[in-house]
Amino acid sequence: MTRPILYGLIVATLTAAPALGAPVTQEPARPTPPATVPKTDTPVGDPRVNQSAAALQDFKTRVDRYIALRKTAAGSAPALKQTTNPAEIKAAQGGLAAAIRTARADAQPGDILTPDVQAIFRTVLAPELKGHDGAHAKEVLKDDAPPSVPLKVNAPYPEGKALPTVPTNLLINLPKLPMELEYRIVGKNLILRDTGAGLIVDFMLNAVR
Amino acid sequence: MRRLPARRLLAFVLLAVSAAALSAQELRLPLKDDSVRFAVIGDTGTGDSHQMSVSNQLNTYRAKFPFDFVLMMGDNLYSGDSPKDYEKAFERPYKALLDAGVKFYASLGNHDNPNERLYKAFNMNGERYYTFKAPNSSVRFFALDSNYVDDKQLAWLDKELAASGSDWKVCFFHHPLYSSGETHGSAELQRGLLEPVFLKYGVNVVLSGHEHFYERIKPQKGIQYFIVGSSAKVRTGDLRTSELTAKGWDQGYGFMLVEISGDELFFQEISDKGETIDAGSLRRAGKTEPNPGRSTQPVEQAPAAPKQPVAR
Repeated sequence: MTRPILYGLIVATLTAAPALGAPVTQEPARPTPPATVPKTDTPVGDPRVNQSAAALQDFKTRVDRYIALRKTAAGSAPALKQTTNPAEIKAAQGGLAAAIRTARADAQPGDILTPDVQAIFRTVLAPELKGHDGAHAKEVLKDDAPPSVPLKVNAPYPEGKALPTVPTNLLINLPKLPMELEYRIVGKNLILRDTGAGLIVDFMLNAVR
Repeated sequence: MRRLPARRLLAFVLLAVSAAALSAQELRLPLKDDSVRFAVIGDTGTGDSHQMSVSNQLNTYRAKFPFDFVLMMGDNLYSGDSPKDYEKAFERPYKALLDAGVKFYASLGNHDNPNERLYKAFNMNGERYYTFKAPNSSVRFFALDSNYVDDKQLAWLDKELAASGSDWKVCFFHHPLYSSGETHGSAELQRGLLEPVFLKYGVNVVLSGHEHFYERIKPQKGIQYFIVGSSAKVRTGDLRTSELTAKGWDQGYGFMLVEISGDELFFQEISDKGETIDAGSLRRAGKTEPNPGRSTQPVEQAPAAPKQPVAR
């Protein structure tokens, strides 16, 4: 597997910043404050590099903010916990989804996957879709793809539709997410999905080409 | 020509049918004292008559081979994850086994909602990937989520395998790292990440589903791979027998029984009609030095040829 040039930057950025899954403090309301650019191995003077690092830091901040909101929303929903009764799982998933939807009623596409971070993702993913591994990744995406998934923020991922396997070479090149979130790629589009609530939190079109 | 009396003819036919049925349900496992015994099913979650016919055979064989638990290779619920889906595709088909105290250990397929991890009867401890040890044995199992192999899961696997002192390390997950399937084929991307870890820590056996057929792969770098993905769905004609194939069958539904005793592992793949599709044994060859091209605890295969081979 090749590693895109920006991968090092992503790793450096996210290593320098606290882990995405770490406890977060409540962030101030939007707009997001300017991010601190962490140290990287790449030339600090390159404005493109600094821009990318800032965009990734901003992505992390937005993810953290979502997790904090989710935690608050979860307080008003039945707990997602182990049970012998599938109805309880379903009710907890639905309750959490409803609470998040209410808490993010004004959420818009691009709130987390901002245009800047989308551009980085496309740059990071593009080399991974070339060559032998790239061809295989495309096969995997095609192979597992459900016929259609309506792309809408706060919409549930359709029940009974396959959750496409995320090709490992793409996954390991994307910024790490806390366990409450995951990436899924449906067709050419990338979805940021809440694993417990089964919600589409955000999405980006044409993530893979 | 002398005509046989009708009653005699009927008795003869019944006898012949019974003999065939008994022969079809022949157990090829040794039933050794203190062995670890389990069943393997994959891609089960349809709730249809094919899943039921496989579950009926599981019940029949358990009377002869009292296995304690069942490993599930993913795609446990195809239609959705409503309570009705759990009932239709899991609780009803395996009721007799569940009532008898048989435990099921599930892994997640691409058709599964990851929240299935919270369903206690799947014994996933609320996790997408987990490990457990067969009681009073040196056999440890590692259930992985091959739909989402990220750094976190790899780090977990590395840590758990390193800490496992078990002689037998059995990994199971949905996507087969080696396969001769036309529709899916080998999951090469997952293989690129998982296989080096398996080799490093001496994984001996890997079980998967996803392909809707049975395939026993020739040992790869000292690891034995099985695909058991036809416990409710079959993709007839999809198996393109290749240099990887030791034995394969894509003509019907089936499940596998496994027995581990000391350094030996015995397996028997059985169809929904009770016929033996494949049977044989493996032996742990002892520890070897770390080598990127071979598992540190490789297995050697010594399969016993089925008496009436039905595999192509």
